[in-house]
Amino acid sequence: MSQSKEGLKAGMITDPYSLATLGGNIALAGGLLGSSWGIGLAASAGIATISQHRSQLKNVIILAAIPMSQTLYGLIVLIIVLRVVAPGLAGVADPGGSGLIVFALGVMAGVAFATSAAYKGAVLASGIAFLAKTGGGILTNCLLLAVFVELIAVLGVVFTIMALSMLGLM
Amino acid sequence: MTISAESLAAVGGALALAGGLGGAAIGMAIAGYKGVATLAEQPQHLRTVIILAALPMSRVFYGLIALVLVISVVIPRISAMPDPAGSGFAVLACCVIAAFAFGFSGMYQGTVCGSGISSLIKTRGRILTNALVLAVFVELIAVLGLVFTIMALSILGLM
Repeated sequence: MSQSKEGLKAGMITDPYSLATLGGNIALAGGLLGSSWGIGLAASAGIATISQHRSQLKNVIILAAIPMSQTLYGLIVLIIVLRVVAPGLAGVADPGGSGLIVFALGVMAGVAFATSAAYKGAVLASGIAFLAKTGGGILTNCLLLAVFVELIAVLGVVFTIMALSMLGLM
Repeated sequence: MTISAESLAAVGGALALAGGLGGAAIGMAIAGYKGVATLAEQPQHLRTVIILAALPMSRVFYGLIALVLVISVVIPRISAMPDPAGSGFAVLACCVIAAFAFGFSGMYQGTVCGSGISSLIKTRGRILTNALVLAVFVELIAVLGLVFTIMALSILGLM
């Protein structure tokens, strides 16, 4: 009873499990936001290219689908948080603080996924715009430069898992 | 629910890495889409474009250094401080400095590298050295962000 009164004074009562879950969801939200933004950028350039050169349809579909991967990375983080991290929170020395850490790591992963997917879309849109001029020859080079940006999202997943392991939450 | 000082510090480390990841992604993409345009004209500049477009990636490693330092060195010392809660908050604030430094320097180094990439054709690749020199100026801000974060943590007795 006294605890709930304190909580009312502070404004809100939440528990570590829900904070951690919120972090996982923000990671997936970042992935979804970035993917939709990136695919939108690439696809809008794709429409313009296809309307001129219908033969480039295959290359446009390949390039415009690439920002989708960040959604899968976000899903991986959410599943790890829900299945591995959140159930173990009750057993750690400082559940409240650990919940907040998982939330912060989820935000970190979300930022990595959103920025890398959205800006990868810009690289791919640039590649798609030059497909017609180069007769499809830009595909390999464009993929190469897009993979650079993809790497940031992969590092986001890896470092989230690494930080959770270092803090003993996984 | 109570929040410990140690977890506030870890949130700071995560923020620093988030800044590094965001800045690196945006910077590499800005250099990357200019690189695609250059390669569409002259594919022989691929090696130079890759060198210039990869420069903003270093922010991720600076962010990782900040996170690992906070988790492995700073957090174990917080409970021994005279004011643990305040120390946790100070670590969070120091890491916000690092996050700003990594985020903005990554983003804007991308524009410097992108400008260099756009001028590769006109200068037949000779702009590479000058573009690298100017990009290193922006890189310096990220290095200073990391150094000053470590310095502030040392001054506060947390390292």
